[in-house]
Amino acid sequence: MSVLLALLYVIVAGTGAGVVFSREPRRQVLAIAANGLALTLLFTALQAPDVAFSELVVGTAATPLLFVVVLASMRTDQKKESKHDVGGGGRPADSKGVSRCRPARLI
Amino acid sequence: MRRYRRLALFAIAMLGILPCMIGLFAHMPRFGEHPLPYGDAINLNGVRQRHVTNMVTAVNFDYRGVDTLGEEIMLIAATVGAVMLLRGSRGEELSARPGRAPGRPIAWRSTGQVLIARLMAPLILLFGLNIIIHPQLTPGGGFQGGVIVASAALLIWLGDGYRPWRRLMRSRPIEVAEAIGAAIYALCGFAPMVVGAAFLQNVLPLGKTGALISGGLILLINAGVGIAVACGFALLFIEFLQETRAEEEPDPEEREA
Repeated sequence: MSVLLALLYVIVAGTGAGVVFSREPRRQVLAIAANGLALTLLFTALQAPDVAFSELVVGTAATPLLFVVVLASMRTDQKKESKHDVGGGGRPADSKGVSRCRPARLI
Repeated sequence: MRRYRRLALFAIAMLGILPCMIGLFAHMPRFGEHPLPYGDAINLNGVRQRHVTNMVTAVNFDYRGVDTLGEEIMLIAATVGAVMLLRGSRGEELSARPGRAPGRPIAWRSTGQVLIARLMAPLILLFGLNIIIHPQLTPGGGFQGGVIVASAALLIWLGDGYRPWRRLMRSRPIEVAEAIGAAIYALCGFAPMVVGAAFLQNVLPLGKTGALISGGLILLINAGVGIAVACGFALLFIEFLQETRAEEEPDPEEREA
């Protein structure tokens, strides 16, 4: 095993640990992106360029983007709403008597 | 469950699993060994049989093309599922309000960010098309190039904001293009049967090794896969990014409809 491969393995282990040990979701998304980048370099060094391409786009660009967008619609702090504070969250039911669910109320 | 109970369960499980793991690892081949007869056979015969220089593409689209067809259908199913879920919870109309945590501001974009995004988006689009076009010569292929093209369009969202990007990506042509891409793949499977060959058999002229047009059916299948993947990912991004609109902002597509 050459020096380059050993170094890349250490880097991948480091970014993997970074993903596991980040507690806040918004930071963990960036850790996932960094892990994807490190894995891309590792796959390129192991002479698998097709896999490296896929990992680069999917693991570094597309998946963290989707996570970020979903997290932007969610509340991730543990603030509980008080009883009198409806905050515009109670939508009136539409004509069919069905109230549409809103994904923003996940606490 | 309390922490020490979890650790106790883990210790009991490890008591059974650890000897098996150690025995298994002792029997694995060493790192760097090469017990791969199928790969060696492909490397030996692939260039002569298919006139391509990228063996991964040859296996993906020619020797085992049926598996890749299944993957394309899986991608379409996943895209349809995501679209159904997101539109189902938000509403079918384009003017449905996006779900958003209240109080979150729309991020302000600096001039440098807009400039860099506008400069890089066409370059990355060109690079993605380059990856799609000659998969039989260089690493890459339809899937990789397709996702690169989709993320090039995403740079416009990053730089310019939601409205210009959404005005560029219209849902209906992208849906039709994705279906056409998958249909190209399936039709390339049935077309050889018209002339009497097997499903997905390479019946087109194979050309000269190293030329831009070589490999026969691989190029056509690859174009279909590239279109399908780019449009599928673009649809996915559209559905997810509709959640990042401002609270009362109607979707720009509705006004032009």
